Amino acid sequence: MNQLTASAAIATGRVQLASVRQRLLVTAKVRVLVVAVGFVFLTLTALVRLTQLGLFEQAPDRRSLAEALLPPRGEITDRNGVPLARAFPSYSLWFNPKALGEGGNPLVKTPEEVARALVQIFPDADYKDLVERLKSGRGSYLRKRVLPEEANKVFALGEPALEFPRENQRYYPQGSLAANVLGYVDEEGKGHVGMEQVLEPRLLDPAQRGTPVALSIDSRAQGALEDELLRGMQESNAKGAAGIVLDVDSGEVVALASLPSFNPNRSDRAFNDLVFNRVSNQVYELGSTFKPITIAAAIDAGVVTDLSVRYPAAPLHIAGRTIHDSHNFGASLNVPEALIHSSNIVTAQVADKLGGPLLKQTMMALHMNQRPTIELPARGFPLWPRGENKAGDWSRITTMTVSYGHGIAVTPLHLACAYAALVNGGIWRPATLFKVDPAHIPAGTRVFKASTSARIRQLLRMIVADGTGRKADASGFRVGGKTGSAEKPGNGGYRKTSLVATFAAAFPMDKPRYVVIAMLDEPQGTAATSGQRTAAWNAAPIVGRVVPRIGPLLGVVPDASRDVDISDLSPLIGNGEGE
Amino acid sequence: MILSAQRLRSIGWLALLAVCGALVMILSFRVNALRSQVHRAEGQIVALKQQKMYLETEFETRANQQQLKAWNDLEFGYVAPVAGQYLENERQLAVLSKPAEPDAPAPIRVATVDDSVIAAAAFPALSGSNAAVRPLSETHEAEHADDDGGAGKPRSRALDHAAATATLAEKLGTLHAAGARQADAADEKREKHGKPIAKRTATVDKAKSTASREGGAQTKAVGKSARSDSKSAAKSGREAKPAVKTAQKTIHGDRKTGVKTSR
Repeated sequence: MNQLTASAAIATGRVQLASVRQRLLVTAKVRVLVVAVGFVFLTLTALVRLTQLGLFEQAPDRRSLAEALLPPRGEITDRNGVPLARAFPSYSLWFNPKALGEGGNPLVKTPEEVARALVQIFPDADYKDLVERLKSGRGSYLRKRVLPEEANKVFALGEPALEFPRENQRYYPQGSLAANVLGYVDEEGKGHVGMEQVLEPRLLDPAQRGTPVALSIDSRAQGALEDELLRGMQESNAKGAAGIVLDVDSGEVVALASLPSFNPNRSDRAFNDLVFNRVSNQVYELGSTFKPITIAAAIDAGVVTDLSVRYPAAPLHIAGRTIHDSHNFGASLNVPEALIHSSNIVTAQVADKLGGPLLKQTMMALHMNQRPTIELPARGFPLWPRGENKAGDWSRITTMTVSYGHGIAVTPLHLACAYAALVNGGIWRPATLFKVDPAHIPAGTRVFKASTSARIRQLLRMIVADGTGRKADASGFRVGGKTGSAEKPGNGGYRKTSLVATFAAAFPMDKPRYVVIAMLDEPQGTAATSGQRTAAWNAAPIVGRVVPRIGPLLGVVPDASRDVDISDLSPLIGNGEGE
Repeated sequence: MILSAQRLRSIGWLALLAVCGALVMILSFRVNALRSQVHRAEGQIVALKQQKMYLETEFETRANQQQLKAWNDLEFGYVAPVAGQYLENERQLAVLSKPAEPDAPAPIRVATVDDSVIAAAAFPALSGSNAAVRPLSETHEAEHADDDGGAGKPRSRALDHAAATATLAEKLGTLHAAGARQADAADEKREKHGKPIAKRTATVDKAKSTASREGGAQTKAVGKSARSDSKSAAKSGREAKPAVKTAQKTIHGDRKTGVKTSR
């Protein structure tokens, strides 16, 4: 019994042990399962998170702050950081005929009423065109570049079909200022004409378009130049005008104007004849403004050593042609007098003494035989005298006519660079529209000796002080310069009444900083110009008014007690001091 | 009991896991909240910058060069400043005290102290001790004054200075024996030349009397040059310039000679 009990007890104990073991095993398995599931869950969570991060989370971060502020097209500023062209999200006026649902009248009022209201807001809009568009039932732009206040007025009309999408467009805050320099951007976003075309790759490059491009233009000087040129053009009834202000030491173009101009903000109307740049693209025979270049070449070559030597001033007969002066200046003139009175005859004689090869060499050193060096895409090719023989040597008559600016046609920009070389100590530098770091001014090439340049500074100052340029003599600015009134060539010779009046100047003459060129195309004699059409009466006064306006802005302080010393030359002038 | 302890332990682990999970979640929520805040702030910055650009552009448009010109023509009428409105340096300031034209009456002064004497005596002392720091331009001007001033002018200036120093010495009770002696020697030398000295003394006397009234070294020079140029004095404008130049040269000439004497 006991044994039985004991065995039964053992058996029970065994069974119990077995079941405990069984249970423990199950628990362990369950635990392993739980842990495994936990790990799988964690792994899955990590994977899901990774997928989420990889796929979705990155999306909003991709548009970073810098990228959000990156303009679609880079900004162009002037030398002082004033924006001249920028990408600007401006409002447009879009007609959406489906705004009130399909079918039915797209407008609340009649198209005529709406068009009339729109013409009241935009006085330059075409009423008939608006009515046609509103009646057509097709979506179209009624107007681009709408000002916020205009948009508010249109909104107040209560027409849901008139929408104002904001679009990134090219905007020129200064309007038509420096339009010929900047150019414009068309509807497709492509730059044309000026720096918009030149800088296209740079302005669109994502790596570079964030930083604005600084031009050498000073918007204040540009405004003054355009303003005074316009005034001069209107006063003399001229067909067009061109002007340039050039830094003589760095070749930076501080202002460049060609009038009449265009409004780059109206890209739809921008492409027309006015886009033409008279400063860099049109070549003119610039006449007497070439005389100082000839004289400088002669002084430089040692042909003119004594300025008191007198030359006969009677008309010259060369190769069947006669060289005249505008007036009779007496029997003889010396070189300073010839410049002051602008004598073709004496300049021609000096050029004849100098000889064709040397004059040609000087002109070539001043790059008069190639397109002007500037970044603008439109650059005119000069009409360069080809010469009479195979080697291209100039004959006597060609040398003589070139000496006073005839038979050679260059752009006003060529002339500006040449004058910069005349006054800055004799170094020719290419003109540039980019702001130049003072530490990296191009070396340039020497054309004249420094002593020649000093002499020319005196002579140019004398022309303004005593000669034809008197109306450009802005008090205290020590302006020096030369007038040039050239007849334009027409059918069968020169046209007596169509002139190109130019005044090429530099200031201050005791230490030249800027060259200023003002040119009028076909000025007429008017009451404002005392009935005269020559440069002394129309182009010189423009320079006389521009210089006081831009001088202080560009750091040239007027000073009546300073001037270039011309005391050694003044006794040589017949009607000046001394004689 | 063993089981419950184990279960407790496992419950404990689970609770810890849950707490950790909750903490991680809270943390990630906070991180996300902060991130979206940063995002919103960035959005605001972008919007504000664009608004700023918008307003700036509007301002530039309304205040563009052509518009400003139109307003100026209509409303303000400002013109560019002229030469007379600028003063670049002390010399230009001094030029303002010159008479309007050569024979203009002297400006009325109330003080009677002969400050030209003090000025003449003070300058050499200053420039003598600080000769090394004298500006280059000044030296240059002084040299030029010697170059084109002719032989007579600098000497007469030396005479002025000697007289001035002597007067000052009297007033201050100090002795500038060496300087005075040098000046005397120079005078004796010049007297041998005869004629010019008489004229010069007269000039100096007259200049002195003018100076005592007007109290400025440059006034003397203006007086002098006015007389010498009396023939061409009728010519205006350009003729006024040499007078000014001489005035400036005289100032510097005085200083230069002053340096010599004080040494």
